[in-house]
Amino acid sequence: MSLFSNILQNASKTVRFVWRVITDTVSAVFHDGGVITIFFVASLIYPVLYGFLCWENTVKEVPIIAVDLSGSHESMRFLRKVDASPDVKIVYRCTSMTEAERLLKAQKAHGIIYFPRDYADNLKGLRGQAHVSLYCDMTTFLYMKNLLLPANMVMLEEMHQIQLKRLNSLGISDELAYELTQGAPYEETKLYNPIDGYGSFLIPPVLVLIILQTMFLGICMLRGTFYEEKQTIYQANAHHFSHAILVTIGMALAFFIIYIGLSVIDLILIPHVFKNLPHIGNPIYILRFIVPMLLATIFFSLFVSGFLHNRETGMVILLPTSLIFLFIAGVSWPQPCIPKAWRILSYFFPSTWSMHGYLHLSSMGANMLQIKKEFDALWMLTGFYFVLTVVQQYITFRKARKQ
Amino acid sequence: MFSRPLYIIATVVVMLICCFFFATILQQGVPERMPIGVVDLDRTTTSRNIIHQLNSMQMVEVTKQCHSYAEARDLLQRGDIYGFIVIPHNFYNELAGLKRPKLSVYTNNTYTVAANMAYKQLLMMCNLVSGALQLQVFTGIGLTEPQAMALIQPIVVETHQIANPKSNYSIYLIGTILPGILGLIILTTTIFSIGIEMKDKTSHDWLKTANGSMPVALIGKIFPYSVIYIILGICCNTLMYKVLDFPVAGSFFAMSMSLLIYVCAMQAVAVLIIGLLPSVRTALSIGALYGMLAFSMSGFTYPAMAMLPAFRSLTWLFPLTHYYHVYVNEALLNGPVENTVLPIIYMLLALIPPLFIVKRLHYAAEHLNYPTK
Repeated sequence: MSLFSNILQNASKTVRFVWRVITDTVSAVFHDGGVITIFFVASLIYPVLYGFLCWENTVKEVPIIAVDLSGSHESMRFLRKVDASPDVKIVYRCTSMTEAERLLKAQKAHGIIYFPRDYADNLKGLRGQAHVSLYCDMTTFLYMKNLLLPANMVMLEEMHQIQLKRLNSLGISDELAYELTQGAPYEETKLYNPIDGYGSFLIPPVLVLIILQTMFLGICMLRGTFYEEKQTIYQANAHHFSHAILVTIGMALAFFIIYIGLSVIDLILIPHVFKNLPHIGNPIYILRFIVPMLLATIFFSLFVSGFLHNRETGMVILLPTSLIFLFIAGVSWPQPCIPKAWRILSYFFPSTWSMHGYLHLSSMGANMLQIKKEFDALWMLTGFYFVLTVVQQYITFRKARKQ
Repeated sequence: MFSRPLYIIATVVVMLICCFFFATILQQGVPERMPIGVVDLDRTTTSRNIIHQLNSMQMVEVTKQCHSYAEARDLLQRGDIYGFIVIPHNFYNELAGLKRPKLSVYTNNTYTVAANMAYKQLLMMCNLVSGALQLQVFTGIGLTEPQAMALIQPIVVETHQIANPKSNYSIYLIGTILPGILGLIILTTTIFSIGIEMKDKTSHDWLKTANGSMPVALIGKIFPYSVIYIILGICCNTLMYKVLDFPVAGSFFAMSMSLLIYVCAMQAVAVLIIGLLPSVRTALSIGALYGMLAFSMSGFTYPAMAMLPAFRSLTWLFPLTHYYHVYVNEALLNGPVENTVLPIIYMLLALIPPLFIVKRLHYAAEHLNYPTK
């Protein structure tokens, strides 16, 4: 009897069997404090915590030190303008670099702006070039960005004034001088995250990871328990390959039902509640994307968890994968910089495609066509891990029967 | 401990895999060859020259040449490029005629790190175009090149980076992330090794070997693990600072000491969790939640300065925060001694709370009054 006709003939029996697997799995989830903690507490608490954590989104008023050996009108004007920027705040004024460096090392401030003695003199003549030095504390990248940006803006502003003065003195008219100094002006547009918000950048992929990893670890925990306690789903009388298929489908549906709601909360509602998170995506598109995202991860988790014979093994061994999945995806660290071997490996993790696809939809307002690559990849992974899981289930059942 | 060698092997192997992973994945340290696009509506030698010059920059690579803004924006939304520059129609003619043609730069700041790299290079390119024009005009009226340079750029900003001169991402990241992972492993294995006694109902025997004393039983259980974790941690540090040659501005010894205390502090936290919740099922999940939070709460990715004040005080509850402070002070800055000593004292404080749950754990071990499943 072929597999297909077998299923047809026993249609109602099949549906009832799948339904039983679903209810068994759901009830197993709700009778397990550990899994409830991972599934529901973690996936609902983390997004709220992170939302609040990155509420401010950017670093403001980073304390810096001014070392002004020039003490001139020009250097003071420069400093005043830098201090006026919301990014930094001059908290100390030192008379020597040694003193300033000592304060920097004691973490009293995170940057130094230094004017040498000849700063104003170099600007007075027609020929000189004046130097300003910035010393940035690199313990966090954000500090450097905060100091460089205002310093460069002020520098450009000051520079244009001086240029105009110098060109005038060379007999070049105001108009021509203006045209020359800005021969090819530019406008810059930072799309999707104009203030370079750290929360807007890091939290969306983390939201995806929270959904996927809580599911992954929870499933591993549950399947380990099934094995340990030799529960019915495992011991079932496996006569056919179809049995393995049905058990796999049943379990997957159970997790899918549980997680579709959680995903809508975390990936669609949370970004609307926390206004510091980008949320320009079409909710219908995101929902459509969530389907293969969940399915691929469910089958991936079912496959991996099939190798776990203890409840705790998954948690003890697989917890650090969360960090690996985050980095290997190439979201925080650009994807082209990930070594090729790791990049190829990352294509086999549903999390990689999920994070990029979700970012494109939710943070960048992409349409379905623009995330076709990610969408298709997730469906392919769904198929890939489904087949692997079924084969593995079948082998496990046969082993159990032989015993 | 050795009755389940799987867990020891597993943790050591997991730690080694993580070391290998993070050491290799960020080996580049600084981003290179970020894909960007150019919308060249001018199509002259000047515009081709801009593309050529962009390609000669180390950090970016022009992978797509587009015919319209819409096409480039579509590529950006697909994630194929991190930014693009639009060179308008008639750019060359207007530039030569001093009509100030405008260049437009767009970056996708959803990917902040990559976008900022691309952004910096694209702006540099725009300034180069203006500069080249000025240089041409000024040398044309008989100025020498240094004279012209003084006119083009009367103020020069020099940037010096302290405590990570190559602005190497991996140095900055791995130094805290690996101890963080070690912390995760400590949490889960410690909770598990104590909880399993109750789960398997062997806690009576466990207490008996310690002559019925819970503190002795706990120390006997934990100490061999401490040795393994400390060896693992020191191996990690040796790998980073001796093999991979990450800079240590201060003292390697101080870092090793703080690692030792960090290991003990994490074990203390784990004992506290299993003591409060003597059911291995729930305790393990809670431990995992706490362990994962440490990565964001310790402030090494998102600085504590930018957190809401309520959260800033919460960061103190994570030993990784204090370890990170020692790391910044010793490895990166070589700052004053108190910035190393104080965090170490805070980590030592973590050893106190478990003292209060010893009794509770003793009771749980004797009476098995918590669900073992």
